[in-house]
Amino acid sequence: MAEYFSDDMIVCRCEEVTVAEIKEAIRQGAKDVVGVKRRVRAGMGLCQGRTCEKMVQQIIAQELGAKPWEVGTSSARPPIRPIAFGDIAKGIVE
Amino acid sequence: MTMEFDAVVIGAGAIGTSVAYHLAERGLKTALLEKGDIASGSSSHCDAVGLICDKQPGIDTKMGQYSIDYYEELAKKFGFDFEFERKGCLYVCETEPEFAAAEEYMKKQNADGYPLRMVENKELCEMEPHISKDIYGALYTPPSGCIAVSPYKVCFAFVEEGKKYGLESYTYCDITKINLDPKTNSVESLETNYGTIKTKRIINCAGAWAPEIGKMVGLNIPIEPRKGTNLVSEKCERLCNNKILEYGYMMSKFDGINFKRNVSPLVEEQNIAFNLEYTQANNLLVGGNRLFRGFDTRTEIETMKAICERALRFYPELADINCIRTYSGVRPFVVDHLPIVSDVDSIPGFYICAGHEGDGICFSPFTGKQMAHIVMGEDTDFDISKLDFARFGK
Ligand SMILES: Cc1cc2nc3c(=O)[nH]c(=O)nc-3n(C[C@H](O)[C@H](O)[C@H](O)COP(=O)(O)OP(=O)(O)OC[C@H]3O[C@@H](n4cnc5c(N)ncnc54)[C@H](O)[C@@H]3O)c2cc1C
Ligand code: FES
Repeated sequence: MAEYFSDDMIVCRCEEVTVAEIKEAIRQGAKDVVGVKRRVRAGMGLCQGRTCEKMVQQIIAQELGAKPWEVGTSSARPPIRPIAFGDIAKGIVE
Repeated sequence: MTMEFDAVVIGAGAIGTSVAYHLAERGLKTALLEKGDIASGSSSHCDAVGLICDKQPGIDTKMGQYSIDYYEELAKKFGFDFEFERKGCLYVCETEPEFAAAEEYMKKQNADGYPLRMVENKELCEMEPHISKDIYGALYTPPSGCIAVSPYKVCFAFVEEGKKYGLESYTYCDITKINLDPKTNSVESLETNYGTIKTKRIINCAGAWAPEIGKMVGLNIPIEPRKGTNLVSEKCERLCNNKILEYGYMMSKFDGINFKRNVSPLVEEQNIAFNLEYTQANNLLVGGNRLFRGFDTRTEIETMKAICERALRFYPELADINCIRTYSGVRPFVVDHLPIVSDVDSIPGFYICAGHEGDGICFSPFTGKQMAHIVMGEDTDFDISKLDFARFGK
């Protein structure tokens, strides 16, 4: 799997984050999905990591020699999917 | 393995990273110990504005202004971009009595030389075209007294820049014990999963968790977690041009006057203080509130509802914008609303730098610099006697 990801490949489409940027976040000390997210925004987009999280996990695992399930997930927070502020005010949350 | 450092900083939030950077810059061999990742505590679960207009006239405001100006200096000096931006701030007044009270506050700040001014309805609507047309007015602070930064990038920046001066950071560090000299009671070493670390100076920058570290040396540090929640919007038009806060909330907390906002029981109960800002990535942050819930930082549905209800009063167009995420964090709350930036008489070499409540990001550069003076045994460039730990009695 080692050379599976080329550096200029976009991993997070919502925030346009490349493999190289994720590797830089890991170099700065990120050891899990949340650490990468805070450093380079991968997973902060409209889909909240639904599209990119698996790949981010694989890259961290590859770089740190860990298993993908050892590098965590993004913390679960409401709402489950994008929802208008107007709806939330009316009490519709999910 | 035994390591030895001139100084050991505990906690890598906006405060600890700043303290560590400033100590390393002064030439001390410094280690930064963090139980999780850098910026994994309060400093990544907050807004990130530095303001003077939410501070009490006097020392509070002075510290704010100092920090704001110092941030600008650091933004120029650092290679690491932490998204520093000057912006204006509007404390919006829903009604006439709020406007009058804000004006009193403005006069006090003007007397100290801060250029705050009142804007009436018409000008407010020009400055903020999306705000509800019936808002009475606002207290305006120009960009000289208001900035925004990325709070976690501030932490990363201090660490990366500190490394240039030899700063070493140890994340996922588990501190099990702090050893004091049995005769002198002074700081001797720490036991950690990285081994024993010898040092004569420990600076406790663990924010809301500072009491835990205090217990390890028999100190009772009166800091409590005070929860706050924010909602994040999808990328959208910048609905506001300035940082927006509501004055009525602040007023309802003033001692001596019995001011009540015209809000629903839910908004009251949830202790909502509306605020709105845009980020450099073009998301809106919509907040916020203050509640005591221990360390439980799960987002409460009732809080989300109450924040949205209050936000729509000021920005009706938010109704059609999507919320993509929420987050909650804790402010390190101290009863007299001033942080503790201090040595500890009974334990030579032990320092406390925590309790910045809702101002930790704003006060970070100021605090780091003053703490470095204290640790180096120098005079601070500021009278910080009010921040002394001894004020709580021993
Ligand atoms: C919703 C909200 C909005 C806010 N808005 C603003 C704002 O606009 N402007 C502003 O200035 N402030 C704001 N704040 C306040 C700000 O977040 C805090 O004042 C600031 O983050 C405190 O920084 P700190 O470094 O003291 O604490 P933290 O960032 O919490 O850092 C302490 C660190 O210590 C670590 N730690 C804890 N225990 C141990 C241990 N045993 N060993 C090692 N490490 C340990 C933690 O993991 C943590 O990383 C807001 C807060 C909230 C909740
Ligand atoms: S692809 Fe990364 S957040 Fe959507």
